[in-house]
Amino acid sequence: MSKPAKTHKIKMMEEQLARKLNRQVVGSLVGCVHCGMCNECCHYVLSHPDDPKMTPSYKADQVRKLFKANHDWTGSVFPWWVGADKAPLTDDDLDKLKDIAFGTCTNCRRCTINCPMGVDTATLNRIMRGLLTHVGVMPEGVRVVSKDQWELGNQMGVLKEDYLDTLEWMSEELEEDLGHGEAAIPVDKPGARVMYAINPREVKYDPRTIKEAALIFWAAGEDWTMPSEGWDNTNFGLFSGDDGLGGASAKREYDKARELGVDKIVISECGHGYRSTRCEGVNWSGDAQAFPMESSVITMLNYIKEGKIVVDPTKNPKRVTFHDSCNNARSCGFYEEPRELLRLVTTDFQEMYPNRAENFCCTGGGGAMSMSEYTPRRLKSAQIKANQIRETGAEIVVTSCHNCVDGLSDLIKHYKLGCEVKQLVDLVADALVLEECYVMKSRPVAVAAVASEEPAAAARPVPVAAPAAAAPLAGRKVLVVDDEEDIRTFLVTVFEDAGAEVEQAADGNECLAKARTFKPDLISLDLSMPGKSGVDAFVELRRTEETQEIPVCVVTGHPEFRQVIYDRPVPPPEGYLNKPVDEDKLVSYVAHIIEHREAKAN
Amino acid sequence: MHESSSLLHTAEVVHWIALIVMAVVYTMRLRWLFKFKPGVDRSAPGSPARTNAKRGGFYSLFNVAMPWSMESTRKGFAFYLTFVIFHIGVVAGISLAFLSTIAPGLVAARPFAWVCGVALVAAFGVAVYRVFRRLFRPVMKLISTPDDYFSLFMLTIWFGLGAVTQAHLAGVAGFESVNLLVAYLFLTSFFLIYVPFSKISHYLYYPFTRLWIGRTLGHRGSYPIARG
Ligand code: SF4
Ligand code: SF4
Repeated sequence: MSKPAKTHKIKMMEEQLARKLNRQVVGSLVGCVHCGMCNECCHYVLSHPDDPKMTPSYKADQVRKLFKANHDWTGSVFPWWVGADKAPLTDDDLDKLKDIAFGTCTNCRRCTINCPMGVDTATLNRIMRGLLTHVGVMPEGVRVVSKDQWELGNQMGVLKEDYLDTLEWMSEELEEDLGHGEAAIPVDKPGARVMYAINPREVKYDPRTIKEAALIFWAAGEDWTMPSEGWDNTNFGLFSGDDGLGGASAKREYDKARELGVDKIVISECGHGYRSTRCEGVNWSGDAQAFPMESSVITMLNYIKEGKIVVDPTKNPKRVTFHDSCNNARSCGFYEEPRELLRLVTTDFQEMYPNRAENFCCTGGGGAMSMSEYTPRRLKSAQIKANQIRETGAEIVVTSCHNCVDGLSDLIKHYKLGCEVKQLVDLVADALVLEECYVMKSRPVAVAAVASEEPAAAARPVPVAAPAAAAPLAGRKVLVVDDEEDIRTFLVTVFEDAGAEVEQAADGNECLAKARTFKPDLISLDLSMPGKSGVDAFVELRRTEETQEIPVCVVTGHPEFRQVIYDRPVPPPEGYLNKPVDEDKLVSYVAHIIEHREAKAN
Repeated sequence: MHESSSLLHTAEVVHWIALIVMAVVYTMRLRWLFKFKPGVDRSAPGSPARTNAKRGGFYSLFNVAMPWSMESTRKGFAFYLTFVIFHIGVVAGISLAFLSTIAPGLVAARPFAWVCGVALVAAFGVAVYRVFRRLFRPVMKLISTPDDYFSLFMLTIWFGLGAVTQAHLAGVAGFESVNLLVAYLFLTSFFLIYVPFSKISHYLYYPFTRLWIGRTLGHRGSYPIARG
């Protein structure tokens, strides 16, 4: 039987591969002896012992075949001898390749450091992802997120006004907490020492970390700013293998830092953000590194060492363990500083084994959180990580990565580990002894004056919010949708106590009906429900003219909500919270969503 | 060169010609590899107080002799041992082929015969195990190409033939036929010519791949691997 002719896409992939070849890559392509020693180092293999296709060299062989068929002497003459005859030829082969490259590997590089030949399988898999992306073959979530990062400059589709609004909101919250406005977040401050770049997940779903970082910067007396553009430290180019996107995203940050004239970029706790901004971005963009870049972990550690902030570890007495992000530890050698900091701000740190560069992936790496079609496989592969965590007996898993927070949160629920995930910024903020910090010691009188006497501060509307705080949802209508009666009752009580008028629904159909008749200001939506699921109900809400403008806050304990965040068949929800939810956080979050929607409408 | 038969003489000549061919092809292979642009890492050193590219490269290059350095060799220590035995066998086999033509007295000497013979027999045993492993383990079957099978089969035969050739050269009763040496030299010649086109050429690339990954990860700060 004669072979089918190569399709246009395959030819494009071959051309693109030729562009990506360098000595190191070729070394990895020709160096594999198929010894199988990397097999048991991969979390996919360990959790799928009966599926040989999970082995790292099989994944790398996909791009190796393409290389051998086109560049290798033996492969060009006798392709069948070296497996090059199985190189992809038709577009049908590409779907299979997509599943392998995106669905069975998180590019964690654990096999790389365990290959006796020095073969960098993770880099080869990223190259395969890049070839597929080049011809438009990728999971839907990757497509949507990449598009947003190209077009809007951040991977979660956050609009500039929403970003700035969130910074303002966090400044206001800080003002409420501290009783003065000194810790407000500076935006685009020219000549500041530090430019702080964050993960858009912080803006969209976890703004608390921005507030905590702002508090720490203020306490240390730092001259800092957040940029209005180029603030996203993450980079989907790392995951999609698209070096063009990688370079463009990194350059936005560098250009903004240059424009502001800052001394350094401080990168919030994000593993792939750190790797992309600090290490790979300069290679992708060709931009020679002109200024220092560091992780906020190092910044916080230095503040403590220099005495700019003072911490009390007894404020964090629970047992903690530390999960190393693969990008931080394996690809950037960044693993001792988080431990040093952790020991300073907690009292009971239990190491996880293996750790540092040998740690297992959280299973959410490589963009896996955005590929909902692979969620069951991801959660199965998380068994290894779950066992690692369980053995530590920790109540809190600390990590320096937002992706890992999501990956770990999912697996903790799935394997019922009963612990929570935190980042170092949370623990440092909790451990702060504010009265001992630089800012208080250097200006004690001024601060006291701001808190009690400054007329301008007292005249501002936000601090004088006592009545609103008592009933922050007064006059609001909230529809609570959840199939579990006790959770529904809890949510209804919380919202009613906050002054809202509340209706409830137990499934997707009831939700749709009540959304039309009750016309709520916000829907609190569970996703996993019998009958019409929350995901389906959400999509229908968004597609129906009458209900499409109602803000939705997803409150769920299951990972399928990532589908609506990343795949985005319709605009994403305005907020999401993980179960179990904290009452105060729920109310303030929901109040903010409603206020923000109104402000936008006006 | 000794000339106990014209066939043996031919085998020896072919063997040396094959060696020259291999050297030429290897040189071409390396030129090919170095025609690709070098990868450049513009990022600032990851952890200069702890390590650097040089240290990482050095560590990486020699981690083959440090089975504790990788989880795969720590946990798979038995497999690591088979790897060591296999490659000692390769060294013994090559030494036997060359020394039999330039120092026949040495290969016939008892100490050499014992060391080389044991190394070849052990390597043969390991190679047989590896054949079964490749034939019957689903993972190995999935990733193996005809080149992988053929190279391993041929090496297994070469180790076996090397062991009996060593017995012949040491004058062990029952292994008197000079044809053993002739066959061994022809098989070695075949390898010398085949190797640059097969997976066995990995040893040519090995120092470079190890050095490069070591320098990369050393620069980034993760090599040498730290544990705690
Ligand atoms: S990648 Fe390395 S460890 Fe894995 S099969 Fe290839 S040579 Fe062996
Ligand atoms: S990079 Fe990680 S996930 Fe991918 S094959 Fe290697 S060990 Fe497995």
